[in-house]
Amino acid sequence: MKKLKITIKRYDGQKSWNQDYEIDYEKGRTVLWSLTMIREKLDSTLVFSSACQHGICGSCAIKINGKTVLVCQTPLDSMLNLFKTDRLIYEPMSHFEVIRDLAVAWEPKMEKMKKVNPWLIPIEAGTKENGFLQGADDFQKISSATDCILCGICTSECNQLEVNDGTFLDPFIFNKAYRFAVDSRDCASEDHVHPAYENELWKCLHCMQCVSNCPKHIDLTGEISALRNMSMKMGETKNQGARHARAFYEDTWKKGQLNETMLPIKTDGLLKTAATKVPFALRMMKTGKINPLELQKPVNGIKGVRELYDYAKEVEKSES
Amino acid sequence: MMKYDVVVVGAGGAGMQAALNASYGSSLKIAVLSKIFPTRSHTGAAQGGINAALGYRDATDSIEKHFKDTVKGSDFLADQDAVQFFTENMPKIISELDYMGVPFSRDQNGHIAQRPFGGASSPRTCYSADKTGHVILHSLYEQCLQQGIHFYDDWFLLSLVVKDNELEGLVAMDMRKGEIQAIQAKAVVIATGGFGRVFWSRTTNAINMTGDGTAACFNAGIPLKDPEFVQFHPTGLASTGVLVSEACRGEGGYLLNKDGERFMKRYAPDKMELGPRDLVARSIETEIKEGRGFGEGMNSYVLMDLRHLGKERIMQRLPQVRELALNFEGVDIIHEPVPVRPSCHYMMGGISVSDYKTLATSVHGIHAVGECCCVSIHGANRLGGNSVADVVLFGKYAGLGARQTAENREFGSIEKLEEEQNKWIEKFKMMRKKTAGIKFFEIRDKMAEAMWYHVGIFRVGSEIEQALATLDEAIEEYKDAYIGDSSERYNMAFINYVELGNLLKLAKAVTIGALNRKESRGSHSRGDFTQRDDKNYLKHTLVYYDEGRFRLDYAPVMITSYQPEERKY
Repeated sequence: MKKLKITIKRYDGQKSWNQDYEIDYEKGRTVLWSLTMIREKLDSTLVFSSACQHGICGSCAIKINGKTVLVCQTPLDSMLNLFKTDRLIYEPMSHFEVIRDLAVAWEPKMEKMKKVNPWLIPIEAGTKENGFLQGADDFQKISSATDCILCGICTSECNQLEVNDGTFLDPFIFNKAYRFAVDSRDCASEDHVHPAYENELWKCLHCMQCVSNCPKHIDLTGEISALRNMSMKMGETKNQGARHARAFYEDTWKKGQLNETMLPIKTDGLLKTAATKVPFALRMMKTGKINPLELQKPVNGIKGVRELYDYAKEVEKSES
Repeated sequence: MMKYDVVVVGAGGAGMQAALNASYGSSLKIAVLSKIFPTRSHTGAAQGGINAALGYRDATDSIEKHFKDTVKGSDFLADQDAVQFFTENMPKIISELDYMGVPFSRDQNGHIAQRPFGGASSPRTCYSADKTGHVILHSLYEQCLQQGIHFYDDWFLLSLVVKDNELEGLVAMDMRKGEIQAIQAKAVVIATGGFGRVFWSRTTNAINMTGDGTAACFNAGIPLKDPEFVQFHPTGLASTGVLVSEACRGEGGYLLNKDGERFMKRYAPDKMELGPRDLVARSIETEIKEGRGFGEGMNSYVLMDLRHLGKERIMQRLPQVRELALNFEGVDIIHEPVPVRPSCHYMMGGISVSDYKTLATSVHGIHAVGECCCVSIHGANRLGGNSVADVVLFGKYAGLGARQTAENREFGSIEKLEEEQNKWIEKFKMMRKKTAGIKFFEIRDKMAEAMWYHVGIFRVGSEIEQALATLDEAIEEYKDAYIGDSSERYNMAFINYVELGNLLKLAKAVTIGALNRKESRGSHSRGDFTQRDDKNYLKHTLVYYDEGRFRLDYAPVMITSYQPEERKY
């Protein structure tokens, strides 16, 4: 009979170790089934979290061979095929405090989430007695964001959190800020957007790991872009991120391409760039990545580029 | 010793509503204990919706119709004064939820959208796509964050301490540290959810639905009301039991047997697939029993066909259902019918509540709300869309009730609390040291099998007696159970062991109730007593636990305006 080799990263509050288990393979089973088998047949000291068993409670995310998934709805076969292996490594999610084995603590994350005022700040047209009127299209704006089950997969997969000192908000927290900022029943977008801005909104790397792994298919990166846009509209334009975005916007409008030589100066200012980026710029020049002497001309098809800008503006107008 | 004016146990819809409503504008010290992180609670699994006679979709809908549907659905076992209170107040609660930011689906006028549901004479089920419970749970949690509610996550209720019918407090385990604490309280709200896990793997319930609060109340001398009434959801996925929302039938799904026949026409010619849950579940099981299902034995099923709804409607109205079917059954409902069969879904019975306006029980200081209790508004069968409704409405009144209780009571003495705390400390030590005995998982499976086969959808006296004997054996074996984990920190094996103790006790109460109710009513279907018997059984079962003995009693049903009649759909 085919065997399944599973290594689990264990932790007892003090020490951490890897433990190997072997169970009989059965076709069509989920990862949760393998954890349950290990716990009930081999080792009842193993701890993992699980509740609803159908992907709505958000309890059961762990890392399998480095990829974070909800164990209840992940077929073992999909993992075996993806990694082309018969050995799976189960670890707790990254960027969380581990309690024991695969179980993690959520309280520190909720303390952090409070920064974005994650609750509805009602408009005056609504009352406790009669609620609100809200158009079906306005509901659609919050529909996907409110699918979030707080499973933490986005956090575990986030590359900024890997290097960040902890100030950067977890993607699901940006989602929460976005969800209230765009809710037509909420009167205080700034109260959600501004704390997001203050907590390194511009540091998202756009690596899309959160989006590609979100079990509810929430467009977290798109939401972060939208929050950035909102923060600029609220007047937060004099910062590195906004200036960087503005440089992209203007360069592309003018020439259809970036001016890589000017980009750091536009983003950080002349003095900071001169103080920090000179050696880097020299290396870039040496390899031919930038040429400060080149006079950029608009690309062929610049007209089409500008039509894209007009189109984007129209779309934005129709959506607001 | 820890000390709170109000302690809420359980952080699902009912518990959080209770905590919020006890806290608004009050200076009481309130804590919420939960064995899991609040947003993991099973309220979040409710998909289809929440009933309130708002009349947005159908102007002819009314409180009166919601009342009559609920009473008829309950097979006349619901207390009509409580149902009246419930249906009257639901529209207000929906507005309150809206004001909290619950993202409801909307109609063309900007009102909250409503859909048809089983057993409802008008389309009155408010919803948020097919994630209604989920969004309500998360919105309540957001309100708790704003309100600064103090949560103790990963705290497990071990027992309630009562002296001379007065609450003194409770004993609970801080699971992460493995410490057992006594907490003094003036009022406690038990909101720990149902106990569908008496059927273990044959349920749509989360793995932690083990009735800890219900068992603690039962041990403390509060009777269980109508525990024999267990709702089997007609449409669990065939291979896992995972729930497929009633919204599928609401949106027009067909149920087909292996001859491709819409068999509901033989059981509920008018309502067809929109008959109430008990009726549809029994119809499916009858088809399977009579050889018109697919598959064999434990793996039998019928099909639910949604293809005629079209891709767009499925994607818009039932996106989560589609995902579930894809992940767990490998079926895309846009292109194929999905195999379904009944699965234990909901406990109509539970801790007997003596006052529906405050959710007080017979012990001063203890309130109980949600699926863990029995008010009773669901009687012998709950209507779809009435459970989240129950939870948020009565959660509010339990909070207000507990607040009143706390304001009128003093803290009791601590001696018995310390005694109970020490008892549990010793027990935890003993169980950690124990290295041999019967594996508790095996005892659990024995219980579940007896319950599924003999106290399931179809029941017969002799078989129920068999289940009772098996349960008694399991209860004996439990005394020699061992857990296989000696650690102090986050010892889930010990927690699961205590949960099993709770389940065993509740399973026995269900079985005793089922054995003694010699009639068929709502979800309780006796092969040897196939008719409803109002003359002898139009009454609530009460099961007591006195000094280790189960005792049976009955209480009258409150009938106000709707006299029992034959229940036809």
